[in-house]
Amino acid sequence: METVLTINGLTKNFGRLCAVNNLNLEVKRGQVFGMLGPNGSGKTTTLGMLMGVINPTAGKYSWFGEVPNHHVRKMIGAVLEHPIFYPYLSGQKNLELNAMIKQCPAENIPNVLELVELTDRREDKYKTYSLGMKQRLAIASALLNEPTVLILDEPTNGLDPMGIAEIRELIKKIAANGKTIILASHLLDEVQKVCSHFAVLKKGNLVHAGPVDDVGKGAEIIEVNAEVPNLDELLMTFPGAASVSRENGCFQVTLRETFHGKDLNNFLFEKGIVVNHLITKKRSLEKMFLEILSEAH
Amino acid sequence: MLHLLQIDLKKLTSYRTFWVVCGLYFLTIGFSTASGMEFLKWLASTFDKFGSNLNINRIPLYHFPDVWLNLVWCSGFFKVLLGIMVVISITNEYTYRTLRQNVIDGLSRWEFLFSKILTNLVLSLASVVLIFIIALVTGFIYTPEINWNYVFTDLEFYPAYLLEIFTFLSYALMLGIFVQRSGLTIILLLLSYMLEAIIRANIDDYLPWLIPYFPMQSISALVPIPFYRYAFQEIQDYVDPLAVVIAFTWMILFNYFSYLKLKRSDL
Repeated sequence: METVLTINGLTKNFGRLCAVNNLNLEVKRGQVFGMLGPNGSGKTTTLGMLMGVINPTAGKYSWFGEVPNHHVRKMIGAVLEHPIFYPYLSGQKNLELNAMIKQCPAENIPNVLELVELTDRREDKYKTYSLGMKQRLAIASALLNEPTVLILDEPTNGLDPMGIAEIRELIKKIAANGKTIILASHLLDEVQKVCSHFAVLKKGNLVHAGPVDDVGKGAEIIEVNAEVPNLDELLMTFPGAASVSRENGCFQVTLRETFHGKDLNNFLFEKGIVVNHLITKKRSLEKMFLEILSEAH
Repeated sequence: MLHLLQIDLKKLTSYRTFWVVCGLYFLTIGFSTASGMEFLKWLASTFDKFGSNLNINRIPLYHFPDVWLNLVWCSGFFKVLLGIMVVISITNEYTYRTLRQNVIDGLSRWEFLFSKILTNLVLSLASVVLIFIIALVTGFIYTPEINWNYVFTDLEFYPAYLLEIFTFLSYALMLGIFVQRSGLTIILLLLSYMLEAIIRANIDDYLPWLIPYFPMQSISALVPIPFYRYAFQEIQDYVDPLAVVIAFTWMILFNYFSYLKLKRSDL
């Protein structure tokens, strides 16, 4: 697969604070790449360096194998942090200005406005837009030049649940067209739902990188409940149980490798117990994220 | 290059403040330069002796070729309005953070700066053309006998005036890029002349040769004060080449400092 972005030893110091420390990363064509990390972990600084607005202290990066320059940036659509536009210009005029800067035809403007459902408000000044509309206009402007790479930094920040769902659908729609997307977020649920790969930053250090599919792998956790008084003791006797704990009125059984939910069900059934609640829980990205962060020092 | 100019003009032409400030600038310049005779008449009617000592109709304020230098010198005072407009235009880019977005969208930092410099040039040229037209019209109105030999003498003050305005606007742009806050930048811009004058006054006793090299001084020296000639004194009726060299150097330096600052800062 073609490499879109290569980062080698990228470092940024703000005075004594090290915002990004020796970062190495690769993003391939067609990936939806999630960048995770707590607030202040260096996500936006990294993206700022990749988009030429922050000068790196050390290290290199390359887009499409080229030394970074402003012509390459025209092939990338990016929204960093907040949507930024001229408040006194209308949405339409802001996009016209963007088209001039990106040197792409203005004919795309109606299409992208339609995509983000802002056609009705295009003649209104940007400052009259609601936050959700501003975010959507930012996405429209990022899509204006039909970029091969899209960078979105907290695109659902401050949106209501409906707005979040809309943006998520939009990202999926864009990803389905084969575009490479780099998505920085601390909403893990969001990343798990849309991303194919992810990386975790902590205090400027890369602590994990890999496919999202890997998250579900590993030991299974079964949540089980039955109307039996000594269920926990019984569960402990199951040969596949690594540990048993009580949570929210149910028992959480962490299974050993090669054991699955049906084995536990079978075991209980043989003991003459019929469960009224049995769920195989996939490990969530959130859980894994917290594990990764607590492991990394 | 035209593409960059179009980008910056697109930002400005939909900005109401731009039209208000430019409108004020061109109105004030138009009215104040065209009403010199009215001012003299007012002086004559207010102060009894003024009229008796001096026949105001004999003062050839608007006669060719005097009118060129007179108007150019007067108009120089109003460049501060254009300077304020430039400051607003650049500091807006910082407060709205649109400079950052422009770079993300694919302008290089130099292209961004160059688009502002080109706008400065357009504003300066517009100002020159305006003064030229006003001078031409008032000249034809007030000059009793049109002598074509005189009509187009002393025009070298127009390129000097262009350099004066453009250097000043480059200074305003640089100040905006360094300070980044509109209010503070405008105050500094307004105080520049005074602050420099104080420094010059203090340095005058020790290093008098340094005086012409000060930036504001060099800008002012491009177009000399013309009115002494009406008090029967010799005036400098040519553009001093040294002043041109110094002002031009400052102009280059201002824009170069802007570039260095922009290149090195994290946006």
